[in-house]
Amino acid sequence: MSVIRNIAIDEWRYWRRSRIAISVLLTGLVLLVGSAFLTAIQMIDASHEREHLQTEAENAFLNQPERHPHRMVHYGHYAFRTPPPLSVIDPGIDAYTGNSIFLEGHRQNSAMFADRQASAGIAMFGALSPALLLQILAPLLLILMGYSAITREREARTLDQMIAQGVTSVQIMLGKGLALGGVTALLVLPLCIASVLAASEGEAVSLIAFFISGYALYLLTWCAAIVLSSTIMRTAGGSLGALLAVWVIVAMLMPRVSSTVATNIVDAPGKIETDFAVIEAVSKIGDGHNAGDPAFTALRANLLQQYNVDSVEELPINFRGVVAGAAEAELTDTLNQFAEERMRVESKQVRIARYFGWLSPVLSIREFSMKLAGVDLETHHRFLRETEKLRFDFVQSLNKAHAEKMTYLDDAGRSGDPEAEKRTRISTENWKVLEAFSFEPFPATDRVEASFNPLAKIMLWLIAILLLCRTIGRRAL
Amino acid sequence: MTRTVVEARNLTVSRGQTPVLSDISFEVQEGEVFALLGGNGAGKSTSLLTFLGLLEPTSGEALVFGKSVQNDIASVRGKIAYLPEAATLYPHLSAYENVDYFLSLAGIGRSRADVEEVFDRVSLQQEARDQHMERYSKGMRQKTAIALALLRETPILFLDEPTSGLDPVAIDEFNRLVTNLAKAGTTIVMVTHDVYGACQVAHKIALLRRGTLVGSFEAKNGERIDTETVHAAFAERAVA
Ligand SMILES: Nc1ncnc2c1ncn2[C@@H]1O[C@H](COP(=O)(O)OP(=O)(O)O)[C@@H](O)[C@H]1O
Ligand SMILES: [Mg+2]
Repeated sequence: MSVIRNIAIDEWRYWRRSRIAISVLLTGLVLLVGSAFLTAIQMIDASHEREHLQTEAENAFLNQPERHPHRMVHYGHYAFRTPPPLSVIDPGIDAYTGNSIFLEGHRQNSAMFADRQASAGIAMFGALSPALLLQILAPLLLILMGYSAITREREARTLDQMIAQGVTSVQIMLGKGLALGGVTALLVLPLCIASVLAASEGEAVSLIAFFISGYALYLLTWCAAIVLSSTIMRTAGGSLGALLAVWVIVAMLMPRVSSTVATNIVDAPGKIETDFAVIEAVSKIGDGHNAGDPAFTALRANLLQQYNVDSVEELPINFRGVVAGAAEAELTDTLNQFAEERMRVESKQVRIARYFGWLSPVLSIREFSMKLAGVDLETHHRFLRETEKLRFDFVQSLNKAHAEKMTYLDDAGRSGDPEAEKRTRISTENWKVLEAFSFEPFPATDRVEASFNPLAKIMLWLIAILLLCRTIGRRAL
Repeated sequence: MTRTVVEARNLTVSRGQTPVLSDISFEVQEGEVFALLGGNGAGKSTSLLTFLGLLEPTSGEALVFGKSVQNDIASVRGKIAYLPEAATLYPHLSAYENVDYFLSLAGIGRSRADVEEVFDRVSLQQEARDQHMERYSKGMRQKTAIALALLRETPILFLDEPTSGLDPVAIDEFNRLVTNLAKAGTTIVMVTHDVYGACQVAHKIALLRRGTLVGSFEAKNGERIDTETVHAAFAERAVA
């Protein structure tokens, strides 16, 4: 054991005395710390901004003067969500879906019908987040630090000298691996610091520990691969070449391939096609602003019969308000069908893309990280559904006021009669229809459970590489 | 009463597909200096690697203290200090640091005084000892590597071309050192193509030619092996 430790310490001494290794390590650390710092600042800033906007939007809405309720339906309102604490490290899908949604009548938020590329939620990241650096840059850094760990000794013939001391191949590999493990610990350190912030924002400490362990395991997988390459390859150049090739394939190519394959297998209609389909479906629904639309004939007949009257003017409620509510309900139903279809396609694409995690640990750690942080597609979909419900309730409350707080005659004649128009303005009391909205991520236990699968993929890689190392280690170096 | 420390019994070793040593047998007694003499590629280094358990014999046995090397590699490596051919140490470390590090790999710690003493014995320049070895001459590096082997204080020393890179004065010093070590009971197996040097120190010499032993010489009555005889045999049999 002390032999392994000594080999690791010696590797560190070599790094300390080699300018390249030190520069590589420092650059990586500066980037990581900088990115963690900036992302944290950004998040704190954004969260203050959001609080501010939320209050402002609410006040603006509540301070609207007495007016016709339907104008408030179009005035609209914002719903914000606080990003989950771990998004300081991994903003995940939120990086391009955003955290705010505009609620108004007759329209679902645009995120529901987002562009096909972004909606797959698997292709790209928005920012240079700590997660991205750890997933993609950290392995590169480890490669540059360790590619020659053993080839260097072999080429300089110091390997013979080590073996002459009775050291075994396995001990040498473990020692070099341990040295790289030390680098891993350094790389994960900024993550730990950023996690303190996440913990203070209310994330479960055990979940955070699991999150960090996952990243450590991922980076250790790279360490093992680096030691393996440096053992198998005869020269340092060969080892560097092989590792860079693997990095390009696994970190650059596979994410592209996975999303391309996923979008090709599960074909999603493009934005324009969807827009046309939505317009066509919506055109079959009556216009809620026109109570005379033939689409509402049945509704009118039913109401007249229910209240046992002969004309809409005699109804105790405002028929125009009833029509607005009914139209909104039907429209929402139709739009929801499109939205659900859209989400179904996205989920299917993501599921297929996730299979590629078997081929690329980069994809697995990405999935692991997003699921644990609560910034994955599933969470986003839930956010969309919850905000849609919020929107619908909000609009329908106003439509209810529209139906109950004025007469049909006033409402129908308000454009020609200033007095009637005045009577259709309802009290500001009615603007208090906004429900407090707070979006909660999935419970910690659910998120941990969901992240087992991608973690298992990473572990499988680690075990496979370690087994290979052991097989190689049995032979002489 | 002498005992056999290192023994090859009909040893045959292949590297890749080609046999490199075929049916080699020899015995080295405690406190003896045994020299394996042969041209380039004769299989000298291969023999040493086999005794260190780094290569496996295809047939026959390599024995150390009467035990087959293959069965107990770890204990064998603890008994043998090995100076690899063209041994290199780390250029970014000083002689002290190198020696400390490699000894630690063997699980050994030596005091600064011990190290100083051995550096003196191999006459490594005092002022160089704290400098990074990238500034060392080939001879100084070789001296440091020899010192490292000596510091192991093992009962057996394997030296692969130990005098390469040393100047004539250093070679003489080295030969005296080897003789003294043997007198003190260390068993030494050295590999060389330097006939003169071998005859200076060896109690036994074996001539190796393309993996086969083609001659052996033994010092009788405390005299040295005759250089002329060996040289003639070497020229005739070993190189070809
Ligand atoms: N790593 C190796 N793999 C295969 N063959 C080798 C290897 N090293 C040496 N050989 C071959 O084994 C033979 C003996 O080599 P070696 O024992 O190093 O000779 P010597 O030390 O006497 O110069 C040579 O023919 C050489 O080409
Ligand atoms: Mg040799």
